[in-house]
Amino acid sequence: MSMNRIAVLVSGGKNPSSGEPRHCRNDSLALQMGLNLTPDLTVLHAGNAENPALQDYFALGARHIDVVPISGDVVENLAARLHQCDLILTGTRAENGEDSGLLPYLLAAKLNLPLVAGALELTPSKDQLEILQFLPKGQRRRVKVNLPAVVVVHPLAALELLYVHARQILGSITMHPATSNATQHTPWKAETPRKPIKLKAPLTQNGHERLMAAITSKNKGGTVVNDGNCVEKAQVILKFLREHRLINY
Amino acid sequence: MTRISPHRPQQTTPVGLKRVVLQTNAKPEQAHPPKPLRTPSKPKARVLFIAHSDRGALDDHARQALAAAAILADAETAVVALVLGELHESLCNAGADEVMVLPELGFHQFQPDVELASVSAVIASLKPVRIFMPDNLIGDGDLGRRLIAHSQRTAATQVVEIDAKHTASTQAGGSTLAVCDLPEIVLLAANAVDTDLPFNTKAKRLDAVAVGHASDVYQDLGLQTGSAAEIALEEADFIVSAGNGVQNLATLETLALQLDAAIGASRVVVDDGRLPRDKQIGATGKTVSATAYLAIGISGAVQHLQGIKDCRHVIAINRDSSAPIVKRADLSVIGDAEEIMQALIGEIAKAKALA
Repeated sequence: MSMNRIAVLVSGGKNPSSGEPRHCRNDSLALQMGLNLTPDLTVLHAGNAENPALQDYFALGARHIDVVPISGDVVENLAARLHQCDLILTGTRAENGEDSGLLPYLLAAKLNLPLVAGALELTPSKDQLEILQFLPKGQRRRVKVNLPAVVVVHPLAALELLYVHARQILGSITMHPATSNATQHTPWKAETPRKPIKLKAPLTQNGHERLMAAITSKNKGGTVVNDGNCVEKAQVILKFLREHRLINY
Repeated sequence: MTRISPHRPQQTTPVGLKRVVLQTNAKPEQAHPPKPLRTPSKPKARVLFIAHSDRGALDDHARQALAAAAILADAETAVVALVLGELHESLCNAGADEVMVLPELGFHQFQPDVELASVSAVIASLKPVRIFMPDNLIGDGDLGRRLIAHSQRTAATQVVEIDAKHTASTQAGGSTLAVCDLPEIVLLAANAVDTDLPFNTKAKRLDAVAVGHASDVYQDLGLQTGSAAEIALEEADFIVSAGNGVQNLATLETLALQLDAAIGASRVVVDDGRLPRDKQIGATGKTVSATAYLAIGISGAVQHLQGIKDCRHVIAINRDSSAPIVKRADLSVIGDAEEIMQALIGEIAKAKALA
């Protein structure tokens, strides 16, 4: 296997009920997926080295965590430490911060690497990686990607996380200086949580139309087939299925 | 029972009595007049909507993003819909003024570099002021993020609230709601927009060609579809569901096998112990989002309809034509469930033999 260096990006998560810091499950899956390939991982965290969430990653199998500051351009800070990596694994979404799921894409664009999202299983071969990709509706897809690459692990990846307290005690952290001194400003302003307002088209009806709309019910319900014998009725169903491309025979 | 309209055409006799005029061809007043047309003839600006199609149609989530583009567009802005994958429906009631289709870029094929190159070419030629996409898992969320990473435009993902001025998105694992000015690329979360539009559009077809060739970086090894019986009910694409009207479950199982569908059940069937609890669909059971839902012998209690509200095509086989499921279903077949199921099994076998 030609994968010399595998990097996993981890972020600090938090308990959804209590808000207590803990590992982010999506990132732990990426960590576990990396551990299944090699025990010698580069684990990278952008943020605070004192974050108690990092201790959880030690217990989950990380031996050493490199921490880069989030001052300046985070993507640049991370990219500076990922240049020689053959494979970069990340989770799908973070549980803190902007949580937009954009980081792996920005990183792949910055390092000019291919990216595959929604990975459920990895099978490495020479210079290539076969990935089982998640698609909705019970479908899965097998894709192959040339290394080096960025792979985003899907939350439904069937991996078992093992929490070992002894590993937690042995873990160590290295702080790295920031490589980017760009000033970043976020356009987002936090608000108190509320129910989002749904966008609706403004009503252009006049009073009479509004009244008519209120007193006449919209014609809901589709075609009703009453006539014919059961074979004809079955044919009606088959025709409907064919029309909507639900069957291909 | 046919009801007689009290507002039939009538005339007043010289004596002053109202008399109904018989056999006139006067058309009844339309309850819903046709919607006005929105499409600007000479658009000054364009907004772009990009989505993958699913089975030749746009799904609900994609239609919501298209509706958002149409609602927010002013009178001189045209909405261009770029559909990746085949499209067999008109988008004139969905809000698209112009439609471009790239049938070779369906979501079943993994070709992110071709998609990105083709979409970038369309963006370069149209110069849209804003781009709307659904943030879904059938490739649009992925393509949208690739687009954001490769362009200098401002962007927002998982947008749960949008209006003409701003967008809001849930952040920090859903614990906070953050607001920002309306960015240039908007990836909309599901159910942030009402698809009901007060206007129709022209949905004129424009020519489009996919550019860029697949690099050898990515290789698609093909889809891997497991049997429908193995996957979870929530993920199933085709569900055959049994209600109290089904006497013989063996027939239903044969039908489900023939259609490669998962089996669901209403509460009564599960309470009777004829199917396990994990098959129950409805308020106490599972909420499913299948593309096709075949409800056999199910009357359609509110609790059950709640569980199938996200299903796209509902077909009902029922003995009672006044059952609530008939109002929900796109196609209702009235008759004996067992006989129709047997006939359906026979017809499917015939059709499969011919294909």
